[in-house]
Amino acid sequence: MIKLIGAIIIIVATTWTGFEAARNFSERPKQLRALRSALQSLEAEIMYSHTPLHEAARRLAVQLSKPLSTFFEAFGKKLTDTETTVKEAWETSLKEVWKKTALKQGEFEIMKQFGETLGRHDRFSQQKHIMLTLSHLEREEADAIDRQAKYEKMVKSLGFLSGLLLIILLF
Amino acid sequence: MTFSRKLNQSFCFNRKGGSTIEIIKIVGVALIATFLALIIKEQKPNFAFLLVVFVGCVIFLFLVDKIFEIIHMLEKLAVNAKVNMVYVETILKIIGIAYIAEFAAQITKDAGQGALASKIELAGKIIILAMAIPILTVLIETIIKLIPS
Amino acid sequence: MGLEVDIIFKIAGVGIVVAFLHTVLDQVGKKEYAQWVTLFGFIYILFQVASIVDDLFQKIKSVFLFQ
Repeated sequence: MIKLIGAIIIIVATTWTGFEAARNFSERPKQLRALRSALQSLEAEIMYSHTPLHEAARRLAVQLSKPLSTFFEAFGKKLTDTETTVKEAWETSLKEVWKKTALKQGEFEIMKQFGETLGRHDRFSQQKHIMLTLSHLEREEADAIDRQAKYEKMVKSLGFLSGLLLIILLF
Repeated sequence: MTFSRKLNQSFCFNRKGGSTIEIIKIVGVALIATFLALIIKEQKPNFAFLLVVFVGCVIFLFLVDKIFEIIHMLEKLAVNAKVNMVYVETILKIIGIAYIAEFAAQITKDAGQGALASKIELAGKIIILAMAIPILTVLIETIIKLIPS
Repeated sequence: MGLEVDIIFKIAGVGIVVAFLHTVLDQVGKKEYAQWVTLFGFIYILFQVASIVDDLFQKIKSVFLFQ
């Protein structure tokens, strides 16, 4: 009886691990898409409505969904509340939020680069920087979709099967 | 082995019921193993092969107690008939060698190595012959003695 | 007899699961991992079989060869 309960616990744990890893793979393209649309709205705010940066960040935080909204919220709050440069506020809030997302190091570097240009230039070169970042992110998204198709199913079945193997070996 | 103590008390032992249950057990194990081997063979033939080897060993280990009984009976018969124990021992050893050789040859044949199987059989035959030399010489000597010179 | 039947099922189970793992890993192109998984499964089963073959030979020795 105890053995059976242990076996069930093992298989549930490994299967859950597999699904969690698979969720990571499927979350990444979604979050990248959200990030791109966020940057597009940021561009629209800067170019056409001439919104100041902290105001734009607050509006974006309202529009977006969970992990990215906290990023823009933290960014806007840092800009209004504390005396920092845009670059530092961007980078620290990026670091805070990054752990909670499914995004990888590549995207982090791209966003950091983008943060360094933010608020330094006139509107038109700012637009060019946003475009550049968008194209970079697009490339990452294609890569993420590719990986999702390749690994999502494998990770799921791998979790279940490794649990099964463990049970058989230990039984 | 468990029967040896009981055997010492009675020369003629009649086995209690339960042999039918045992054969059903063995057949069941063999059938289950066959089905499992069929399933695995599609993906991993070498695993199926190991499974078959394992089942062969299990069945023989199951039978070993009974074989011991039979051998013990033969021994007692030999002692009662005042036959020299060396000959009985040699014959039993020959049976053992024959069984080991047969087992290995069957397994190698199953694995598709017919040539190796025939070599094992050859080795078994030659070793049996070598072990039988003392008995053969005694036999020949007896025959020669019987012939009036 | 009970123990041995358990091990028969264990061997078959390991075989089936390893075969599945092999196919899954093969499909996504992780061929080297697939090979390793198969090898470990094979070693495990080989260990079981080798120990029972040893057992068998000891029994044969003690029954037939008087040692």
